Amino acid sequence: MNLILIGMNHKTAPLDLRERLSISCEGNIHPLTEIMKIPKMDGVIYLSTCNRVEVLAQTTEAREAQQGLQDFILQHGNLSRQELVRCLYAYEDQEAVRHLFRVTSSLDSLVMGEPQILGQVKDAYRQAVENGTTGIILNKIMHYAFRVAKRIRTETGLAANAVSVSFAAVELAKKIFGGLQGKAVLLIGAGEMSELAARHLINYGAAQILIANRTPARAQQMAEEFHGRAVPLDQIEETLRDVDIVISSTGAPGYVITAGMVAAALRRRKNRLLFLIDIAVPRDIDPAAGEIENVFLYNIDNLQDIVDENVRGRMQEAQKAEVIINEEVSRFTRWHNTLAVVPTIVSLKEKAEGILRGELDRSSGWMQNLTQEDRNNIEILAGSIVNKILHDPIISLKEESQDYAAIPYVAALRRLFKMEE
Amino acid sequence: MDILFFKLALAAYLISTLGYIASLLVRRVLIAKISTWILVTAFTLHTAFYLAQLILTQALYVKNVPETLSFFAWILCGIYLLLQLKTKTRVLGAFISPVAFLLMVGASAGVAGSVSIPDTLKGGLVTLHVTLSVAGEALFALASCAGAMYLIQNRLIKRKSIGSFSRLLPSLKELDNINHICLLWGFPLLTLGVLIGSVWARTVWGSHWQWDPKQIWTLAAWLLYALLLHQRLAIGWKGHRVALFSVLAFLILLAGFFLEKAFFNTLHNFM
Repeated sequence: MNLILIGMNHKTAPLDLRERLSISCEGNIHPLTEIMKIPKMDGVIYLSTCNRVEVLAQTTEAREAQQGLQDFILQHGNLSRQELVRCLYAYEDQEAVRHLFRVTSSLDSLVMGEPQILGQVKDAYRQAVENGTTGIILNKIMHYAFRVAKRIRTETGLAANAVSVSFAAVELAKKIFGGLQGKAVLLIGAGEMSELAARHLINYGAAQILIANRTPARAQQMAEEFHGRAVPLDQIEETLRDVDIVISSTGAPGYVITAGMVAAALRRRKNRLLFLIDIAVPRDIDPAAGEIENVFLYNIDNLQDIVDENVRGRMQEAQKAEVIINEEVSRFTRWHNTLAVVPTIVSLKEKAEGILRGELDRSSGWMQNLTQEDRNNIEILAGSIVNKILHDPIISLKEESQDYAAIPYVAALRRLFKMEE
Repeated sequence: MDILFFKLALAAYLISTLGYIASLLVRRVLIAKISTWILVTAFTLHTAFYLAQLILTQALYVKNVPETLSFFAWILCGIYLLLQLKTKTRVLGAFISPVAFLLMVGASAGVAGSVSIPDTLKGGLVTLHVTLSVAGEALFALASCAGAMYLIQNRLIKRKSIGSFSRLLPSLKELDNINHICLLWGFPLLTLGVLIGSVWARTVWGSHWQWDPKQIWTLAAWLLYALLLHQRLAIGWKGHRVALFSVLAFLILLAGFFLEKAFFNTLHNFM
């Protein structure tokens, strides 16, 4: 195939190395045009994200082009040859295709199944198309890659289920409330994780955010940020009546919310379901509150357990995904192999078509005596005879192309039909 | 001719049940969607059975146990399919479809067999009485299905075992909604059915009330549901407690149905 793929990712290269390479490529040079200057280079796609740098190249001579590519990286990445050898991987032909499929389907990502990579690969491809650095083969590979990614997304659970604590909280809320539209959320204490969870909840439709914090100024500031309302700490008990979800993450040594407060609030809220999330250590919410009917209490360990379980689930789904990748790699290989016989098939068809046209022209004189309908029928008949005769040789040639045994057949065919250039 | 529709409907219920089970096993939404359409087909065939019966004999036969089972399955299915349009909780079909199929198996023992019907059981009021009561009870059956699913889902979330089974079940809110809708519609239907029955009882037996075991048991169940609805609407019972209560209430209703059959000789013994 003369395809090569070289690159480095989060597994093979430390961050600062990937940084050096991707920064230098974004800065003063245009990687696509620079790479195309390398000899024996036919087409290229250049992908750079914070976790990886990948170059997929279509070449006329793989060895030479690969050498050129390595020199290019050595030169622009400011790295030593040892670093290069240690961090860079290189794949050829089928293995290059497989690696590309795995990257696009997010099997090779830091968080397996994350959705961003597909968009990043699509961007990289679009840039390559805009710069005219892709040909038939690279176009075909990319379309295969996008299809593989879609298949894996729909046929396996690789991207299902939350693998972060804040998303796990959102999924639980959906399990309880159906949708989050119109739900009110109370944040007690400020912290990175509770803010992140609140942001997710808002994205999924949560209507109102209330914030209680030890320092009122900070509460006010966050309230403005979330378009919510600040609540004094001593009014938490009343507020419990009106909110549906509580995320607590204070540094308080004792319980901020006791089981008694929850039980009283539940009576006043007519038993509407209440979801309590306690991500503080030590805990903010009395565990006994979780025993109360229609109250659901999750602490940081519970959420982490769900995440761990989901990660294990993704690992299993990844095996199904690898099966799909294998299938698609061999399907692509089959397509690619037939390429070798395509020119011969085309010239065979052209030759037959030429003969057909010539003979019909020669007969046009006497055919004038016939009705238009009869003339059409004769043309159809002649055409279908030609197609029938060519059908078997063309099919056989495509079959032979699969195990690289087509060369003598191609030669014989060209000789017999006098199709030599 | 009408019995052919019945057999086709029975087969369709079986296929849809198998489809739903398969969709649970392999977790594909597409299979569940197809199963829903097969259930629609089954319901249509079942409706055709009743239409044909109505055209051929000018009467609906809902008088003995098998016929009642078939009628129950038909109503249950119709109500579920209507609900499906409103609430989009497909997984409930996986509970309803097998129930409908089993009812139909029970029904196939005696449907379209010509039983002699006592004169006291002829007339429009009887048909109305049976239709409304069965529709009410079918809605209660659905409410208890949703309630049982609620209890399972509630337990899974409380025990923090959010596995694949929990993902299959609808959210607590949706299940609570279904329970609510079914109670809200089932109660007036059953009430109306019972009232019409007592009016008719007066015309044939001379009194509204005969201390018949089925009457007593139905009244008890009716009171239970009245209490449940009251607690739900006025006191604000929600979620777990309502779900538990509606499952228990339906079990009592069901127990009454079978106990009477086994131990009592009632005026309702024809069904």
